[in-house]
Amino acid sequence: MSTYILRRLIAMPLLLLGVITVAFLLTYFTAADPLTSIIGERQMNNPAVVEAARERWGLDRSLPERYVIYLGNLLQGDMGTSFRTRQPVSQDLMVRLPATLELVIAAMILGTTFGVVLGVLAARFRDGPIDNIARFFALVGASAPVFWSGLLVLFIFSVQLGWLPGPGRIDSRAIAPPFLTGFYTIDTLAAGDWAGFRSVLMQLILPASVLGWTVTGIVSRMVRASMLDVLGQEYILAARAKGAGPLRVLIHHALRNAMLPTLTILGFSFAYLITGAILTETIFSWPGIGSYAVAAARGLDNPAIVGVTIVGGAAFLITNLLTDIAYALVDPRVKLSRQEGA
Amino acid sequence: MTSRLRNFLLAGTGAATLAATAMPGAAIAQDQPLVIARNLEINSLDPHRAFCDTCQIYLSSTYQGLVKLAADDRSVEPLLATEWTTNEDQTQFTFTLDPDAVFSDGSPVEAKDVKWTFERLKNIQADPSFMMNGLASIETPDDKTVVVNMENPNSEFIGILAAPYVGIINSDVAMENGATAGEDASSADQAETWFLANSAGSGPYVLDTYRPDDELRFRVNENYWGDAPPITDIVIDQVADAVSQAQMLQSGGADIAMQVDPDTASTINSPDITIETVPSYNFIYVMFSPGAQGGEMLDLEVRQALAYAIDYQGAIDFTVGGEGELQAAPIPNGFPGTEGLPMPEENLEKARELLASKGLEDGFTLDITVAQLNVYGVDLTLLMQKLQQDLARINVTINIQPVASAVWREQIANPGIPFSARFYAPDYFGSAQYVQFFGMLADTYWERNASGQGKVDLVNDRETELFQQALAASGDKMNELYHEIAMEMIKDRIIVPVVSPNLILAYRNEIEGVRYSACCNLPLAELSRK
Amino acid sequence: MSVIAAPKARRRVFLPQWATLPVILGGAILLFWIVVGITIPLWSPYEPTMLAGMRFQPPNAEHWLGTDALGRDVLTRTLYGVRHSLPIAAMVIVCAVLIGCTLGAIAGFVGGIVDSVIMRLVDVTLSFPPILLAMAVTAALGPGLGNAAIAMVIVWWPIYARLMRAQVLSVREREHVEAAVAAGATRPRVLVKHILPLCWSPIIVNATMDFGQVVLLVASLSFIGLGAAPPTPEWGQMISDGALHFYRWWIAAGPGIAILSIVLGFNFLGDGLRDFLDPRSK
Repeated sequence: MSTYILRRLIAMPLLLLGVITVAFLLTYFTAADPLTSIIGERQMNNPAVVEAARERWGLDRSLPERYVIYLGNLLQGDMGTSFRTRQPVSQDLMVRLPATLELVIAAMILGTTFGVVLGVLAARFRDGPIDNIARFFALVGASAPVFWSGLLVLFIFSVQLGWLPGPGRIDSRAIAPPFLTGFYTIDTLAAGDWAGFRSVLMQLILPASVLGWTVTGIVSRMVRASMLDVLGQEYILAARAKGAGPLRVLIHHALRNAMLPTLTILGFSFAYLITGAILTETIFSWPGIGSYAVAAARGLDNPAIVGVTIVGGAAFLITNLLTDIAYALVDPRVKLSRQEGA
Repeated sequence: MTSRLRNFLLAGTGAATLAATAMPGAAIAQDQPLVIARNLEINSLDPHRAFCDTCQIYLSSTYQGLVKLAADDRSVEPLLATEWTTNEDQTQFTFTLDPDAVFSDGSPVEAKDVKWTFERLKNIQADPSFMMNGLASIETPDDKTVVVNMENPNSEFIGILAAPYVGIINSDVAMENGATAGEDASSADQAETWFLANSAGSGPYVLDTYRPDDELRFRVNENYWGDAPPITDIVIDQVADAVSQAQMLQSGGADIAMQVDPDTASTINSPDITIETVPSYNFIYVMFSPGAQGGEMLDLEVRQALAYAIDYQGAIDFTVGGEGELQAAPIPNGFPGTEGLPMPEENLEKARELLASKGLEDGFTLDITVAQLNVYGVDLTLLMQKLQQDLARINVTINIQPVASAVWREQIANPGIPFSARFYAPDYFGSAQYVQFFGMLADTYWERNASGQGKVDLVNDRETELFQQALAASGDKMNELYHEIAMEMIKDRIIVPVVSPNLILAYRNEIEGVRYSACCNLPLAELSRK
Repeated sequence: MSVIAAPKARRRVFLPQWATLPVILGGAILLFWIVVGITIPLWSPYEPTMLAGMRFQPPNAEHWLGTDALGRDVLTRTLYGVRHSLPIAAMVIVCAVLIGCTLGAIAGFVGGIVDSVIMRLVDVTLSFPPILLAMAVTAALGPGLGNAAIAMVIVWWPIYARLMRAQVLSVREREHVEAAVAAGATRPRVLVKHILPLCWSPIIVNATMDFGQVVLLVASLSFIGLGAAPPTPEWGQMISDGALHFYRWWIAAGPGIAILSIVLGFNFLGDGLRDFLDPRSK
């Protein structure tokens, strides 16, 4: 066990270097000249302006030179300056990461809660109509493109019914809370701004629900399977024999034991959430990493593309590692087959 | 028939509007910030590196030039300079600064700031640097007098000085934060990041916060030396598309929406909202590049034929629902020299005749790319699809390949694109910028690209000559010369304007002073609440 | 005659085991789309890229799903969309399987340095969140449906390489392989003749289940402007158009339901297959 974890830990920095290299190389071979995203078209024929821009953005250097400089800067936390926002990429990411995390965590909470309820119900009423409805609902959530379901809920709940606010992270008339953690929910509370806090929560509901729905399916299936596993075991039967009510058995004994495998599955659903977050942020004008990545990819903002890809890769690597370790701890059988792959 | 459809749509969205306006936030307290919904698309907030439509709004509210464009969008008024004189041959300009003018930190605006600003703009070699082309030297005989010497006559210099990019910067503060105006400014200047968080001008507002893709927030300049603006806090909120902007406006989340297109405007029927349509100085044009790969057949007669085959009014109806104007030459309607120019006409007879004269009555095929852009309410791909149908009438087949804007910009230079569409918005009030960009003078942007970087000779010597005279002339004489140049540019048939889309100003009824300005887009200091 | 006989026999024998409701439902959805994709040009009343009537018509008798900003028929475009989504997804899956399996088999069979190099490449590729890598690749290659497909292959091949390698590793220890080696068969021959035939089934199951995800990711890339370019009737691209006019909900409704149904079809199928293969989850 510990050698497995150790091996994975040692591989981490190497994988990270690989991620950095691939991301860096990709942006070097772009189809269009990055200058087009730095200089306006009217000055593209002006040699003085073109020359100045090349020098200023380091585009006049060779690939190996740029790579070494980039690695050196990266070690000091410098990811270069974005062509588009003209701010240090690391600073852009620092501001946007909490926005994405806030959305993803809210989505996880909503999605998991709902998934657990669905899973428990499905297990309790196994093969009945409730089981089938839960299954269908979960599958639809996993299949619906969030960029469409997002539009749909915006149209219904914001435009037609007017129950919830439109896109954005906080009411347009409210002033964003002073930067403390970057999580608006926490920052508004810390500033004692209750109206702001309420606005932030209202803004979160729609995007978090849309995003959370995509993982509801996985979670409910996992809970259902583990519950069925656990429900058949002796101590549950014993608890029942002792006269514990069915609800008590379900929640106290079965669910508690089904939670561990469910937690590990959440790690696996991280990839879903990253994908979903990128699209959800685009629909809901959410100023997070996802919309940053989309804007960067569209605008050929190379430093931002590399930065966001590295951060995304690192987050993905760490989550996978934690999930694998958790999984290996829960189920020792996994160890061997995973080791083969890695 | 259209009106019936429209009624149906309005009936459908009526319920939505009612529900939306009932939302909290519709009642706005006086001290709340004014919210403008807009797609920010800011490339920089450094006055000398910025170059974008939102930048114009930002810079003209936080900085001030020596002069400003008057409300008539034509004449120039004093701003930091109380008066100025120009020598006979338009090469020397002398300004007297207002003794009361102070920057936002309270320090006086002095001649050295003007000198420093102009030199930095020139030396930084960025997008707006061309505005200081031909700057020879600047003298500052005393704190309040500036003498600018140009290498060549430049009758438009005063007009340029009204552009937002030429606003005077507090040089002491900027230098403390890494700015430099020296010859090596293009590499030595380190102030761009500082300018993203701070402004250093004398305008009615100062920069409060800027969060890219989120919001740009202004607060009133406490030390403003003019009349204090009525509204103290203004936010430009990032809202990417027209529909979301309209929704925010209707739900009370925004006071002004700046990029609502005609299609979307037709869905707004809230009694709380004013929708105004005004002509703009922006225009969408198509261009022919005989030097481009695949464009070899596009000699003058063929270009004339294609231009005659375009259904201009149909294109305006199709792309902006009729909310646009025809434009004669690549100089916007209302700019010097454009009065009385002949508007483009559709004439299929002539088009067929001209093609037949070149033995092309059976037509030909053009493979072209167009940038995937929606500018000023016009979707360029959509426009090209319309022109595709038009040109099919004279047997010319157009194959359209939409590409990313950056890719288009590479292709237009090499290998060239025989036929495509693009847009232009003015940087200041004056016609020279158009001649320098669209004219067939040696080495202008379009002379290079249309000729395939010199593969075919497109240079129009008469245009070159007229332009030199225009730069040295003033008043009516100058207007006449630009008129002649415009006629030459029409005859060149390289650049053919298709539509000057109208601008839709949509705002809540309680807002006053919403106005479109040729230099500055939306003058923030003129806004007020009833 | 045998055509009629076969399903009867099958129904009697297999129905209880695999022909569950989800599998039948999923199969029916996919069959529908495949038939539509093949036959649509024969019976469609409108062209997908041509003006079909007034712009922005809500759903009506002539245009069941209304018309879009260009006056094109949304239903026609939606149905034509399958001619882009399914073939691209199939191409991506086939390429990813071919590349992944070839490299995976070589890695598993040859071992040593070759194995290390291939598997490190796999590890690095799998270290990226799929959509971020796909975005970075399409940004580099330039937007377009073809480039999006290439990006997806780059994202997907390592999954199959890993799967195939594990399969080869377990199969090569079996007796018949060792017997073949002992009998003097050449190494490539052993790989192709004796090992590979036993490795395919999990790959095929996996590929089926990934199909829906590929459809979804292609549409996602188009939606954010890195995939199909207008006027292609591609679903993600159409939803992106619809988002620009989202008060006219019908423009995005057609393609939205189309993606939902096709991904749902594959998920039903995959879910049913998993139940069948892994009874524990049932």
